This record gives sequence, structure tokens and C-alpha cells, in this order.
Amino acid sequence: MQFFQTPNIDFIKRRKTAYFISLSFLVFGIVSLAVKGGLNLGIDFRGGTSIVLEFHEEIPIGDLRNVLSQADLGNVEIKKFGHKNEVLIYVQQKEGVSAQDMAVLVEQAISRGMPEAGHSRIQFDTVGPKVGKELRVAAVLAILFSLLLILIYIGWRFELIFAVGAIIALFHDVLITLGIFNMLGFELSLKEIAAFLTIVGYSLNDTIVVYDRIRENLKVMRSENLGTIINTSINQTLSRTIMTSLTTFIVILVLFILGGAVIRGFSFAMLIGVIVGTYSSIFVASPLVLEWQSRHGDKGKLRMMKRK
Amino acid sequence: MKGKMLFKTILVLFLLAWALFALWPTYKLQTLSVEQRNALDLKGELMPLLEKGIRLGLDLQGGMYLTYEIDLPELYSQLAENKDPVFEEIMNEVRGKEDVLASMSEAFKKRELFMHRYWGDIRDSDEKVLSYLSKQAEDAMDRAMQKLRNRIDQFGVAEPNIQKVGSRRILIQLPGVTDQERAKALIGKTALLELCLVKDSKVLIETIEKIDQAVAKQRQGQSIENLEPVPRDSSEAIAEQKESKDKEILVSDLFGEETVTTDSTAAESDSTLVVAEDLFEENPFIALLRNMQGRDIIVPVENIKAVKHILSQKEIKKYIPSDAVFRWGSEDLEYENKFYRELYLIKEDPALLGKHITDARVTIGSGVRSQGMPVVNFTLDGRGRRIFSQVTGANLDKRLAIVLDSMVVSAPVIQSKIPDGRSEITGIPTMDEAKMIAIVLRVGALPAPLTVIEERTVGPSLGKDSIQSGSIAFIVGLGLVILFMMFYYKLSGVVANVALLMNIVLLLAILAQFGFTLTLPGIAGIVLTVGMAVDANVLVFERIREELKTGKTVRASIDLGYGRAFRTILDANLTTLMTAFVLYYFGSGPIRGFAVTLAIGIVVSMFTALVVTRMIFDAATSRKVMTKLSI
Repeated sequence: MQFFQTPNIDFIKRRKTAYFISLSFLVFGIVSLAVKGGLNLGIDFRGGTSIVLEFHEEIPIGDLRNVLSQADLGNVEIKKFGHKNEVLIYVQQKEGVSAQDMAVLVEQAISRGMPEAGHSRIQFDTVGPKVGKELRVAAVLAILFSLLLILIYIGWRFELIFAVGAIIALFHDVLITLGIFNMLGFELSLKEIAAFLTIVGYSLNDTIVVYDRIRENLKVMRSENLGTIINTSINQTLSRTIMTSLTTFIVILVLFILGGAVIRGFSFAMLIGVIVGTYSSIFVASPLVLEWQSRHGDKGKLRMMKRK
Repeated sequence: MKGKMLFKTILVLFLLAWALFALWPTYKLQTLSVEQRNALDLKGELMPLLEKGIRLGLDLQGGMYLTYEIDLPELYSQLAENKDPVFEEIMNEVRGKEDVLASMSEAFKKRELFMHRYWGDIRDSDEKVLSYLSKQAEDAMDRAMQKLRNRIDQFGVAEPNIQKVGSRRILIQLPGVTDQERAKALIGKTALLELCLVKDSKVLIETIEKIDQAVAKQRQGQSIENLEPVPRDSSEAIAEQKESKDKEILVSDLFGEETVTTDSTAAESDSTLVVAEDLFEENPFIALLRNMQGRDIIVPVENIKAVKHILSQKEIKKYIPSDAVFRWGSEDLEYENKFYRELYLIKEDPALLGKHITDARVTIGSGVRSQGMPVVNFTLDGRGRRIFSQVTGANLDKRLAIVLDSMVVSAPVIQSKIPDGRSEITGIPTMDEAKMIAIVLRVGALPAPLTVIEERTVGPSLGKDSIQSGSIAFIVGLGLVILFMMFYYKLSGVVANVALLMNIVLLLAILAQFGFTLTLPGIAGIVLTVGMAVDANVLVFERIREELKTGKTVRASIDLGYGRAFRTILDANLTTLMTAFVLYYFGSGPIRGFAVTLAIGIVVSMFTALVVTRMIFDAATSRKVMTKLSI
């Protein structure tokens, strides 16, 4: 079986449409970030205390919210977590009250307000504000550092403009995924940062396969112009791109559905990331190389083309 | 060619055999029933098995993860001499700063002060003092680590992980421990034991009267700079309390609205206080207190915050004798369904320090007041014995407060001189608490207080759920990918699947053999590996298909396919590997687990795709010439 016998789709001709689609998604992502008032940061990054309680039966979140708002606990956030009996409660740190006491206060308030609903604590996290700040810095550093490494590596193995194209494609992937992720109300925590870095790695993987073919074809198809070479390369690798994306997509989808609440945000980010990453390696990363070359004429000619 | 083949075959078979051997303990652990587990544990065979099995992260097996930070300003101020208000000011300034020493040095320079004013010798330069302090901090960290390790060992945790992070943090992982309160009480207790003489009740009453008058003046908005001698005999007021009825007032009634809203240390303005009705107007401070058996002052728990607030004020502190401090009792007392805390006035300089304790044991008390209650017996070293003997001898019939981390556990009356250095601590409410106090006294105090800055606890049930859902996702994902590959690449797909399965086995074996920790994101990493590991084979297969299309022979197509795909595979995988390394470097705990499985998965998948499948293809084509390839 084969998806494409000998695909010959003119991706390059349609690149303007693709740019438009990409730009609309990017704008949409940025607008959604603005509307939501920035990223929905999880406890790792903003600090505070979160408690996951398992109730013996399903309880209405509204009732729980009423009970907790009567107790003097400051800003309380309540969310469903995993199974329908599990609830995540987030409280801000209060001065002079330890995180542990805060959790006890929450549980006492629930026991008092809903005495018939028994519950037990299954997860407890508290992150001091200082640590939250440090984790934010570490996350940003991790992303910047991996981008830098990638830039150097591709610049060395291919050519600087290829590296720039790849990096732009990566920003594209991460921003769009982040936009969708944020809009749907997922929280950004350390685990999700890992997911985003994996998207970076994955999308790059796809991009490099295409780049690699371009590099190879530059030697073989010397009479053709760069547009044709790029288009041919994308077509030749299309089958592989789709195939790998599919297997990866399948496992992540399974992970998203069956993997449990703890890694739901993580797998969702990757799910979107795989789609966007595949798209960008076809429609963004390589066409950008062409864009740059056609704008700079002969002067901007790729080293790899000149060499022969 | 033949020799190379043979070598490869042996290598692959050897790796497989090793992998199965490395995974055997994990397999055995997974299939044990609870009874079998317990039986093995009794024989002492469970631990070695656990050590060889794949180590599960805290998020999978449940447990606590704690990060403590050592309170350096507190440590430095313990080391300092001749402390004065300027010193307190500087220490308050540097509290919470990232680099405490640097901020301190800056603060001293700004004030044009030399650091030898408080530390070291008069001739010492600032640099010398700084290096002395930093050495002390390092020392304190090492001692703290040591003490924590001992405490945790005595607490009985299997496989705790205690490590130093940076220069002032200690990370503690306690697998299987979910009793947060107990664990934290044991670990985080500074356990500084001090035996301090209690001030005479006459001094106590005088002090309270003075404070009372100061508070009364303050409430009327008068300056309390020059307080007149007590105008009225307030000991009467204290006595009157017994008859006075209690009434509830708001905190703002006591302090006025402004103080309450601007000062976050005071209680919320709408919480109530219990005061003696008749006394409140004239003796606002005394109205907050009660007395018990004519001897101790007790405070209704509702009023504790307000009393603390009053006592912490600078203007009020002046009225406390300079050699004395107020200390709270460590437990709430119940009396007629109401809860109270004791308030003691004790000598600031301890008569004896806990570091002289050589042993501490829990017994059940047999004395009049401790009948049937847990008691901690302690033994002192030679020097401690002499001091204790002297102190008890010189202060007969006075009270000696046993102060643990600034809280008074009990304050018994010295009935006789104690020459043998043996004594006991009573007034501990529960056996658990007593055991804990005994452990911390035996191990000794931490050199400086530790504060929790990060804590994560995962209950065992959530961990089990995570393992279960992770495993199901893994199996379903693996099954789907295997079917898909077979469907798309037919027999070659089967070859790729063999490589995929071997990939998983090797990945798990590496985790087990090298003691990497498997976390939930780690499981996600394995699942992801399943999806991405076939990529190398997909690249090769697509290449082979292309070559076949151009009319090349099967043999030549396979060779060319592998040859041409190799560079692509290398480039593509190296970048993913780089992100995995970055993740490992910047990440912590669960994230590292993810980075580890991802990185191992990539390396192993390159091996299985390039060596194992190639070997199978070579073996198939070496015997006879193939004209058609099922791909």
C-alpha cells in the first residue's frame, strides 16, 4: 500500500496561500493570548498550593465553589481533574499560613460545608514564589538554549539560511500550538514546557528530512531552479512525512485519550504540535529558503549551488 | 561480508540476552502477589530485587518531594556577637535576597561599617569575615544534610534520596511517604532544645501590667514614650478576671481600623477576640489573657494573634525585662470546651543547650502529672551534667522551661538537685510526637532553620492510576503502530516491527540497568518513542521503494536505501537528541524522566533501524537472489 504513487503537488505555487493560513493562525493565537490576559500559568510558574481531592462520589463543582468561597481562603480556583470524582483546588499562598495549613483549612471547610461527601487527598503541590520565578527562568532558558543549539547545528550541517528557515518554522509551530493550547484553557506547567520542546524536536526532524533531500537534489538537478528543486524534494519526502506523522499522531492521540489527567495538557500540546509541525516543514521552512534566495538574486545564491 | 554478518548477529543476540537479563527483576516484581512480596521481604530478598528493577519516580509510586532552603540570615545572626538595632536592620534587609553574603557586604559598605563589628576579630578585613561566613554556611549545609539523613533513616523510609542543590538548598525525596505532617515535622524541626529558667511570677505580672497600660494609652491615641508608673493596682484586674464575663469583640475594636488594614501581621479585621467584658476598656491587654491556677498565664486561641502582634511592637518591647522573652506553649490546652495557649516569660539566656544530650528515649510516665503519658528521658554528657547539676542545685523550687524550637514543651518545678545528668520531658500529648522529639534530640539540632520552598506529594492511588493509564496507552499505541506498519509495508513492516519491539526491550533494559527513574512523562516518552522509532525505518523503506521504482534490483535497492537514508536519519535524530539533552539539563524530576526515555529511545531506534533490520534483510537476500520485495 502507498499513499502517493508519485506525488507531484505544486507546494511552491501555493506557498502564498500557506503563508496566509499561517499568519491568520498566528494572529489568532496572539489575539487569543491577549484576550485571555496572557498565558494560563500553572502552579510551577506562579507559585501557590494545589490540592487534588478524591471524593467518594461525584459532587457538583458549583456547590464546592460555594462552600469554599464562604471559608476565608482568598482566591480559590476549582477544576475537574481526571476522573469525575477528582477535583483540583488551587489556593494562593497567604502570609503567615503555611501551605500545609492552607490545605488543611481547605479540607476542613469542605468537611464542614459538605459533611456527607467524604474525600481524601491524592496530590499536594506547593511552590514558593521564589521557586516559581526560578522555574520560569529555567523554562525560558531551556527554550532559548535549544533554539541556539539548533541554529548552530543546522547552520553547520546545511547553511545559515536553512537554519533561519527552520527557526522561523519552529517559532511558528510553538506560537500556534501555544495559542490553541491557551485558548482551550490548558495550564502551562513544567510538563507542558517539555511537550513544547518535544514539538520543537519533532518539527525539526521533519524539516531536516526535507532539507536533506534539497541538499541532495541540489547536486543532482543542477539545471533546475531552486523552486523546482524544493518542490521536488518536498514531494519525494511526502510519503515519509505523512507516514511518520501518522504513527506519531496515533500514539499521541492514544496517550491523550488513555494517558490520564496528569499528562492531558502535555499530550494535547503534542497532538497540536505534530499537526502544525508537519504542516510547517512542508509549507513554511523550505519555501522560506526560496523566498530569501529569490529576494537576494545571485548574491544570495546558496553556497551549495555555487560550489559545483 | 560473512564475518561482518556473523559479528552483527552475535552482537544483536548478545544485546537481547543482556536486555532480558536486566529486565528479569522488573518482570518478577510486576508479577508478584502481595503475599509473595511480603514473604520475600521477610527473607530480605525484596530489597535487592527492587534495586535491580526499574526505579519508579515519585509521581508513579506515590511519595513526597521536598525542597528546603537553609535560613542563612538566621545562621549568620546566630554566629554574630554584639548584635544591635543596626544589625537587625541589616539582617532584615538581606532576608530573602538571592545572594545573602553579597547583599550583606553591600549593606555594610553602604553604612560604612566594618563586618568585624559583629563577626570574627577586630583586625579581620571584610573579605576575611565574608570567607569565614561562607565557610560556616557550607559547613552548616553539610551538617544539616547529615542530620537530615540520620533523622530520615530513623524515621524508617526505604530508599530516601537526599541531595544538595546549589549552595543553600536540600532536595529530599521520600518514596512511599504520604503522611506529610509527620514527615515534615520530623525533617523540618530545627530541634533546638533549650532549658531556660522561668521568670518569677512577680516579674511576669509587673511586665504584663506595664504592657497593659501602654496598650491602653495607645488605644486612646496617647504617646507612650513616657509611661507613668502603674496608676492602679492591676494585679486586682488580673484577679477580677475570674468573675468577669467574656464577650466577643472585633480585632478592629482593639487596634483601630487603620492598624488592622495596614498591618498584615494582625489578624483579619473581621475575626473576633474573646475579652473579659469588665476589663476591656481600662485594661485592654489583660482582658485578652486568662490565668490558670493562679500561676500560668493562658491565652484563648482566638486572641493569640492579637497578643503576638502587641508583643512584637517596638514600643511594647521596651517594657519586657531585657534579660527575658515571652514564649508560647507548644500545645493547645482544653478547658471547659475552650482552647488556650500558655504564655511564659523566661530568661533569654538558656541555662543548658540540647547539644549536651547524648541519648533520648521514649517511656510511659509514672509521675503524678505524667501518669500514663509519653515521656522523653534524656541523658546529658559530662559538661552538660555539671551545668545541669549546678543549675538545678541553685534554683530549687523555681521552674525550668523546656523550650524546643522556641516553644515551651513543659515547665516543671525543680524539686531537687539533679547530679546524674538524667531528666525527662513531660507534657507531650501523643506517642508519635514523643518519638519524634526523641529522634530529633538524639540526632541533634539543625545548624540553622530550614524552610520548605517547594513540596509535592502524590498519593499512592494516583500513582497507581498513572501507571495503569500509562501502560494501557503504551500497549494500545504500540498495537496500533504495529498493525499500521504491517498494513503499509507488508513483510518489511513486520521486519520494522521486530526492530520496534527490540527497541522497547532495549530501552526498558537500559532504564533498569543504569538505574534511571521512570516517571509518568517518562512513560509518555516511551509511547512517543514507539511513534517516532519507526521513523528511521520509514525513511529507509521509502528510499528503497524509490530505488525499486527506478528499476534497480532488490539487493541494490536495499543497499542504496540504507546508504542514502543514513545521513538523513543521523541529522534528523541528532536534533531531537539535542532537545532531549537541554530538557535533561534544565528540567527536574519528572521532566528528566521524559528526557531520559526520549534520548535513549532515539539512540536505540537508530541502532535497531540501521543494524537490526538491515541484518534481517541481508540474511534474507544472501541465500538466494530476490526478485521481489514485500514492501
